[in-house]
Amino acid sequence: MNDAANAPVHGPVTFDELAALMKGRAGLSVDSSEMASSPATTFEELNLDSLGLLGIVAELENRYGHKIGEEAETCKTPHEFLANVNSQLSAAKA
Amino acid sequence: MSGSGSSGRRRAVVTGIGVVAPNGVGTEAFWKAVQQGTSVLGPVTREGCERLPLRIAGQVEDGFDPAGLVEDRFLVQTDRFTHFAMAAAELALAEAHVAADPDSPFAIGVVTAAGSGGGEFGQRELQQLWGKGPQFVGPYQSIAWFYAASTGQISIRGGFQGPCGVLANDETGGLDVFAHASRTIRRGTDAMVAGATEAPLAPYSVVCQLGYRELSLADDPRRAYLPFTGDACGYSPAEGGAMFVIEEESTARRRGARVRAVVAGHASTFTGTDGWRNSREGLARAARDALAEARCAPEDVDVVFADALGVPEADQAEVLAIADALGPRAATVPVTAPKTGFGRAYSGASALDAAAAVLALEHGVVPATPNVTEVRHDLDVVTGEARTVPLRTALVLSRGLMGCNAALVLRRDDDGGR
Repeated sequence: MNDAANAPVHGPVTFDELAALMKGRAGLSVDSSEMASSPATTFEELNLDSLGLLGIVAELENRYGHKIGEEAETCKTPHEFLANVNSQLSAAKA
Repeated sequence: MSGSGSSGRRRAVVTGIGVVAPNGVGTEAFWKAVQQGTSVLGPVTREGCERLPLRIAGQVEDGFDPAGLVEDRFLVQTDRFTHFAMAAAELALAEAHVAADPDSPFAIGVVTAAGSGGGEFGQRELQQLWGKGPQFVGPYQSIAWFYAASTGQISIRGGFQGPCGVLANDETGGLDVFAHASRTIRRGTDAMVAGATEAPLAPYSVVCQLGYRELSLADDPRRAYLPFTGDACGYSPAEGGAMFVIEEESTARRRGARVRAVVAGHASTFTGTDGWRNSREGLARAARDALAEARCAPEDVDVVFADALGVPEADQAEVLAIADALGPRAATVPVTAPKTGFGRAYSGASALDAAAAVLALEHGVVPATPNVTEVRHDLDVVTGEARTVPLRTALVLSRGLMGCNAALVLRRDDDGGR
């Protein structure tokens, strides 16, 4: 559980953090500002498969110490994904 | 094998070779080491193996950097054995100048063999499971440690959507993939990416091997793996393997590819685990049937790449099998086992033998059997120096610890270069 100690407890998860996770968990080099400025870009276009996204969700759950609902795993775009995850995390805070 | 003799038969030829071996990455480095008889067997230095009784193995050293050949996104989700397979496939495809054609994605398929699977990846994730909890196990564990991982990832990465297969059938898998690929080509596929790699030196994988009484626990790298000698005390394991591009002959010739060798014949048998003695009959039968399919007489065999297990009873059975299959030719044919210089990489071992055989045919050189000096059988085992002789036909033999036997006949291309 040490990983959680170094991270902000309630988010929000940023595009930078997502890009770093995509690199670490799925080996993908993605420019976070490009991802932030192109809401239509899909995970598929970025070469992230469903197992890769699953790994990122698991990592976020471990970091933030909170279960993230299954709908996050079905998000098609990074924008959709971050909106979903962050609303779940802020709901947990409240 | 079907072995139909019709003139319209589609023949399989080797047009690309990719090698990742303890004694070299790439065919050039590998062949140089094999030809020079370099021995790279040495202490097992993999983390976690320090207190295990296995002392000597053939390790693919730090000089191997898969990142130069394969994208990170594939490396993250795969084990070391798949890193070897993808890197070797990339080398073979580059050598053959073959890539998937987006207009006919089904023209190329993939077949790999593996006997050990993704031990390192699996161990890491299982340690997460028991050390931290199930939520710390990465999802790629679901695919990375299975035997099928290499075939799947090579297919995905290259866009090869033709017939794909996986052989999980013992050390002979590295030869059996040639048969599988040849059959697939005969049925209409243009090309197959085929071969076998292993990475069995993670601590978990080593522990699994400690139960094999054939495993050499000797601590002197020069004496740990000495088949056909009075000092034979088992085999040293290794990691690595080879991948090949195997193509339908006329397709290869039409595109001007260099035909490296013809896949002329193959056969396999099974004689179980009830003593190595039984492998004599099975190996002899495989050799005979492979030669028959290749329409070769025993006198046509110019070199034998032996299985060379390094266990006295098994060595004796192999010597007798060669005699049974080749008759009088057995006493005069040069026999070699380059793997004594770098170890047995399970199914990767026979694939590496096939690679060495193609290179031997090309160069007209029978490589030596490193570290082996005093052969105690009536067999012309090439020791010391490599031997320069005209070579047209190579017979490659393999046996598995679980009872499989296989023989592959490779022939130099006669029709090319005219």
